[in-house]
Amino acid sequence: MNILHPSSIFVPTDAKQTPCLLGARCDECATVVFPKMPVCPACQTNGSMREVQIGRTGKLFSHTIARFAPKGFVAPFFQVFVDLPEGPRIFALVGAECPVEAGVLEDGMDMRLVLEPLADTPENSDLLTYKYVPAGRPEQRTSGHA
Amino acid sequence: MREVAIIGVGAHATGQFTEKALKDLAYTAIWNTLDDAGAEPSDINVAYVGNSLGGLLTGQEGVRGQVVLQHSGITGIPVINVENACASAATALRGAWLEVASGAADVALAVGVEKMFVGDSARTISALSAVSEVDLSEMGMQFTTSYAIHPKINLKGKMAEYGWTSADFAKPAVKNSFNGSLNPLAQHRRPLSIEQVVQSRIVVDPLTLFMCASISDGAAAAIVCPVEMAPRFTSKLPVRIASCVLRSGMYRLPDDGFTDSATVSAQAAYEEAGIGPDDLNAIELHDAMAPAELMLYERLGLCAPGEGPRLIDEGITTLSGRIPVNPSGGLCSRGHPVGATGLLQIAELVWQMRGEAGARQIEKRPKVTMAQNQGGLLLGQDSAVYGVTILKT
Repeated sequence: MNILHPSSIFVPTDAKQTPCLLGARCDECATVVFPKMPVCPACQTNGSMREVQIGRTGKLFSHTIARFAPKGFVAPFFQVFVDLPEGPRIFALVGAECPVEAGVLEDGMDMRLVLEPLADTPENSDLLTYKYVPAGRPEQRTSGHA
Repeated sequence: MREVAIIGVGAHATGQFTEKALKDLAYTAIWNTLDDAGAEPSDINVAYVGNSLGGLLTGQEGVRGQVVLQHSGITGIPVINVENACASAATALRGAWLEVASGAADVALAVGVEKMFVGDSARTISALSAVSEVDLSEMGMQFTTSYAIHPKINLKGKMAEYGWTSADFAKPAVKNSFNGSLNPLAQHRRPLSIEQVVQSRIVVDPLTLFMCASISDGAAAAIVCPVEMAPRFTSKLPVRIASCVLRSGMYRLPDDGFTDSATVSAQAAYEEAGIGPDDLNAIELHDAMAPAELMLYERLGLCAPGEGPRLIDEGITTLSGRIPVNPSGGLCSRGHPVGATGLLQIAELVWQMRGEAGARQIEKRPKVTMAQNQGGLLLGQDSAVYGVTILKT
């Protein structure tokens, strides 16, 4: 399977590893960004950004259900922003295990990262990306842990 | 810098014009503007042409400005193509203003034109998504989503924070649909009720169909020259550009304490013009999703945070109020042909300031007005472009 934005995602190669995002942290001011950038947006230092693994968990900042889908996606689908504990607030989609219904997600809830196809469509079903699901769901399935 | 006046404006109606190409839409706007200014093609020293989606939607990836200007009989001059998402036209005007203010040119033309009806609305929506940073659009991010939950505006969050209701969200759409019903150039001319707006189908929770600007074809233009040169062309009231501000978005980190960019760009425009929000007599602002107007009230300094709905309830921003907002009908009613919108705003304000706005004329002719135009989304949690122009007679 191809990976959408491969430089932004760590894909496990053995069962001991867990997937995560690849951001960058500034050596000068400790600002963490996602995706990676060569110049720190906070202190404008060039060359101070080092790759860091982030985003295994997060807290839901905001969410909505889109009732119309752009080409390559299927409506209705959740679109969310997630606050990562390392600092960044990022746009994300929600994993397929989470039913697309009002009341399922609540701002502030703990989320965890999963890797799965971008969308169940001919255009995007072979394209792996990161998504988030509520951390407390009973199944506790984690991609990469067979 | 020289003081610059707008001596002519013109527009093509907004809506669906299946038989018209980009250059046909632009032709109408350009010649209405030339006629309005009393100018000839040979008077134009330089032209800036704003367009956003023409490459993806019409296949004309390059030299769109030269193509549309040649069709209108304007050739042999410097032509600058401007792409700046939904703020392409505000950016074109800034280029024209700067040419004249700096003394590089005496007479400059700004054009904004967009052709969005191409027989496949899915393709148009995809093109529209592509005016944001592609990393976002590849993941299915749409403008509707961004207004609903994006940290820079987060209208859904404002319902919790301010106690705003769906009916509050509908208020700007209702007000602007009335204004648009009086505008012969408007795309949607049906006055809407709160119930109609709230009960129209949900696009992205909590935004309903009638809260969202729709796909549109359209064009607008303006001609600028030094103030003292204006009488050479026209006896009409010259409208001076008091400030013309353009800002790119900031990289936003959660709780970074920075003032949001709509506020920053408006404050810069006020400062440059030497006025404040209380001096404004009319505003055209970027209500791509109607409830954004409520947020822009506070960001432009018209009210305290959360008080937006009150300005409509008390009639302050209605056509007969103290500061009418979106007298044209705004983006949801007048229409939002994206690369033309900034100049459609300018044309409306010039007509209002001259007393030429017909049935929607603001009774006390406005003397100081603002056009606020923005566009695109960046990964850094902000819009890409903010354009604010203040006009004075």
